[in-house]
Amino acid sequence: MLSRSAERLYWLARYLERTENTARLLSVYMNLMFDMPMDVEISWRNLLTIFGAEEAFFRLYDVPNEQNTMRFLLTDTANPGSLFSSLNFARENIRTSRELMPDEAWQQVNEMYLFAKKNVETATNRRGRVLILNEIMRGCQCFTGFLSGAMSHNDSLQFIRLGRNVERADMTTRILDIASILLADDRSDRLRQHENALWMHVLKSLSALLMYRKHRRHRVNSGDVLDYLLKDLDFPRSVSHCINEVETCFKRLQKPEGLDDNLNALVSSLMATDIYCITPAQLHNLLDDIQVKLGVTHNQVASTWFLAAH
Amino acid sequence: MDSLWEHYTVTDAYDEMRGPTNQARPSSDRLSNYLAGLDHKALDIRKTAADMAIMEMGITFTVYSDEGNIDRAWPFDIIPRIIENNEWRRVEVGLKQRLKALNCFINDTYNGQSYIKEGLIPASIVDSSSNFLKECVGMTPKFGAWANICGSDLVRDKDGTIYVLEDNLRVPSGVSYMIENRVITKKVFPELLQDLDVQPVDDYPTHLFEMLVSMAPNDIKKPRIAVLTPGIYNSAYFEHAFLAQQIGAELVEGADLIVQEDDHVYMRTINGLEKVDVIYRRIDDRFLDPEVFRKDSLLGAKGLIRAWKAGNVALANAPGSGVADDKVVYAFVPQMIRYYLNEEPILPNVPTYLCSDPEQLSYVLEHLDELVVKPANESGGYGMLIGPHATKTEVEEFRKVIKANPRNYIAQPTLALSTCPTLCDNKLEPRHVDLRPFILQGESSFVTAGGLTRVALQKGSLVVNSSQGGGSKDTWIINTDR
Repeated sequence: MLSRSAERLYWLARYLERTENTARLLSVYMNLMFDMPMDVEISWRNLLTIFGAEEAFFRLYDVPNEQNTMRFLLTDTANPGSLFSSLNFARENIRTSRELMPDEAWQQVNEMYLFAKKNVETATNRRGRVLILNEIMRGCQCFTGFLSGAMSHNDSLQFIRLGRNVERADMTTRILDIASILLADDRSDRLRQHENALWMHVLKSLSALLMYRKHRRHRVNSGDVLDYLLKDLDFPRSVSHCINEVETCFKRLQKPEGLDDNLNALVSSLMATDIYCITPAQLHNLLDDIQVKLGVTHNQVASTWFLAAH
Repeated sequence: MDSLWEHYTVTDAYDEMRGPTNQARPSSDRLSNYLAGLDHKALDIRKTAADMAIMEMGITFTVYSDEGNIDRAWPFDIIPRIIENNEWRRVEVGLKQRLKALNCFINDTYNGQSYIKEGLIPASIVDSSSNFLKECVGMTPKFGAWANICGSDLVRDKDGTIYVLEDNLRVPSGVSYMIENRVITKKVFPELLQDLDVQPVDDYPTHLFEMLVSMAPNDIKKPRIAVLTPGIYNSAYFEHAFLAQQIGAELVEGADLIVQEDDHVYMRTINGLEKVDVIYRRIDDRFLDPEVFRKDSLLGAKGLIRAWKAGNVALANAPGSGVADDKVVYAFVPQMIRYYLNEEPILPNVPTYLCSDPEQLSYVLEHLDELVVKPANESGGYGMLIGPHATKTEVEEFRKVIKANPRNYIAQPTLALSTCPTLCDNKLEPRHVDLRPFILQGESSFVTAGGLTRVALQKGSLVVNSSQGGGSKDTWIINTDR
């Protein structure tokens, strides 16, 4: 397949995955905020931290309240990381890759885009926002469904899978980063009271609650949640699983020698870490390291297969 | 009962669906009756459904404006246009005949120009054509087929005669919309299509594919085919992507291609370079190859012409085909048919005055207010004068333009383009239409069943181009014999 097409499909998958993850995270976070007492040290601002978007936010807004944070992360096209921006980029990439995919896949993304455009105003109130987020999550899942039912496991699909899993692993580490607040030694008693609920929300934001329960058969607790989301090989959103997927794609694409060295190193260091007795600072460093290594892999993918490589 | 038709007033133009006394023509009998059974609300529901489908399917065309390029939804009128099968058979044969003669002409142009020696066409006309490419002299593509894809514009005059208005032999567009229009009609009027014998149109991509395969160099059985697009900012990008998808070809841009020392064309893939055998190019000649034509072109690929001349890649349409896509050359097509094929033309030309001829020029200048004057080499309906609809100042302005460069203009009588019932504000009103069928020629010839009907949505307007506010209709070739 054309290098140009490979690049577009890879980005299409990244942007769509980002769209879906953003929708899920915003939706879960809203739920969490509705449950939390007002004086607990979890705020809308933490959401900006997860997206690494505090600086960009304060360039556009003053107060990180619910209205502003939500607008910035959901509908503001001045924020290239907002859900609507991601969806726009995804649509542009699939619009220019239509010859590679079942028609329904394009139509699905296009319909989501039209829906978002039409409903941008209703996102200002909570009810409207819930409806939009649900529709977006459903739409992204339909897209994945169309592909799994009608697309060959050809090179095109490998690049979609690559993009999806690089993005997914990245998002999981970002969500887990918020755990450093939950684990801080100086956290308030109020927060400690709600700890269980908070960890449940972390699982929910990755659609992992049910699978976690089935697998761990243990009450929700910090060590198990972290271990599960970082090391489990079967859950689709755990970091290890995502890396495995990327490596599988590499094999299918007949990767050049050495392309997975970086990921192998990442997996070994992850597996060697005892997640159960990690300090908040160590956790933060570990997650940071994973994000950096994912960035390295992204660059390697680009220089191996994309148009600029020639 | 007949509420929709009660207020329908046929003009003095030929109406495709209703006769002079507003009675349904035999081929349109059923459609007329069916529509009569719908009230305004039912029509509106169907129109809304069609608009929705167009949005969701993402059927767009790009318009250039000051605010940048905008993707506009494809303008579609839900009322189909009907042509009777027996009439269409004759048109189909006429179109194949025409393209064959045009291809003979192009081949002759680049190989000896026997027609000039025989006094058929003045040498000056070909020499001065901006679409004549000296680089093509001496070439003969397979089967002598230079123009493999042609879109001819047909119009019907008052008395019902179908004329050929022009032949688009460069990069004609619209065929994807013809196919998508039918998809939408199937959603909007499924019950109607069940009762009528309407010929399908979605076999076009299969024929396009087969034609492209037949053009492959060295008789490669499974050639690698690419559609070469100028990119996403081109007004027809939707169509390029659509066709690539329909024929399973790669959609490439110039930067994806590279011509190596061995004079073969390769594309840059994830596994390195892969050879390309046939290119359906949707880029104008001048931008194809900076090695030969415009040096500043980033759209094409360096060395493409070299590879083509070496016989290592087929280009459809062949470079230089545009020499026959010239409104002056158009005037000679009936003679070409007689000269090359020894046949009588089946489809008439619109009478055409050549401004390059002093006698004809003076006639044109005296009758500017009755004539349509067109530049020889423009497409898209730009830079033309419609005499009867123009102001005095416009006419005088145009007089100067013609005098300055007579070779570049032709004039034709203003035809009363036929009309077709069209949904305007929930009512049916007559609007002028033309028709663009698509003709393929490779090893064999093919004509689409009908084509793209374009409709001027404004009352009285004759301008059907989508870039200038025109719409489109599904076109039904109906068999009424059974």
